[in-house]
Amino acid sequence: MNSNDLKPAFDNPVSGSRQSFRLALKAMSEPGLSHELRLVDALDTLAPASYALALTLLDSDTKVWLSPALDTPVIRANLAFHCACPVVEQPQDADFALMLASETGVIASLNAGTDRDPDQSCTALIQLDSFEGGVPTVWQGPGIETQRQVCLPVNQAFWQTRQAVSAFPRGIDMFFIAGEQIMALSRSTQVNFQVEN
Amino acid sequence: MTAQANKTLRQQWMQVLARAGDALMSFETELTRSAYRKIRAPETGMVMVRGRTGGTGQAFNVGEMTVTRCVVRLDEGSTGYSYITGRNKRHAELAALADAHLQGNDQAHWMATLIQPLQLQQQQKRSQREAEVAASKVSFFTMVRGD
Repeated sequence: MNSNDLKPAFDNPVSGSRQSFRLALKAMSEPGLSHELRLVDALDTLAPASYALALTLLDSDTKVWLSPALDTPVIRANLAFHCACPVVEQPQDADFALMLASETGVIASLNAGTDRDPDQSCTALIQLDSFEGGVPTVWQGPGIETQRQVCLPVNQAFWQTRQAVSAFPRGIDMFFIAGEQIMALSRSTQVNFQVEN
Repeated sequence: MTAQANKTLRQQWMQVLARAGDALMSFETELTRSAYRKIRAPETGMVMVRGRTGGTGQAFNVGEMTVTRCVVRLDEGSTGYSYITGRNKRHAELAALADAHLQGNDQAHWMATLIQPLQLQQQQKRSQREAEVAASKVSFFTMVRGD
């Protein structure tokens, strides 16, 4: 590890991680709403909000998998230094997986938990360019009063993969990140492509 | 003395800095003159101290101790680390800054103006304490009974 690669984390580690954890909870309890998480600067190819979530969620007990685009020496060095999290080579071993929108095929091999221990599933952090410009989808489920229309710029294969790994209570919870914005998609959210009248 | 000789230069200055305590405060102006960022702001935690009886036995836990650590990066490029005992966050930050400066181009300057005076001071304090203890030494001996 080259110490010159190290970058600062939260200015105030305690309040920073609390604020960002609170926001992650809020996002996950209201799938489809975007929230601003502006606490740290970007780290190499990791967006500011991704880095803040990583600092908040990762520690020595959480195994993390980095997609090829995010597996850089700088990111590895800083995650090892600030979070002390082990980086695993196999996506199925991971508790958290960090990836870009173009690399979501790996979701098929993530650990979706078991019927007895659905909480042991992996959480995916997916970095997008924005939350706009994709195929319109209609989200329904817990945390959504009626329905919510979201146009995430992800491909059709992503939605099929999500469908394939979801067998409630098993499934993958996801955080989408665009710059300093985060949005969550929990496993309990139903995603449809046609607006129901 | 052999242990001292086996230490790298950096281990030696880390030792001096960790023991410097409030003596480091008088160097505050020089140490904070150049711009720097805190990579890891001073934070206090516990470490488990482990030992071996006679240095060779099975490892056992001696106990926990309070440690404060800090990492800083000078804008010139070098990164300084510090681990000190206790909760003095300012001491940890200054010690990390000193470590960063000592890894830079002006190592000789910092060794001469910072480390050597501190080392001398610590040695003097130590030998003074040793002298004080030695003065109170009591030698027990058995009186030979004169029959």
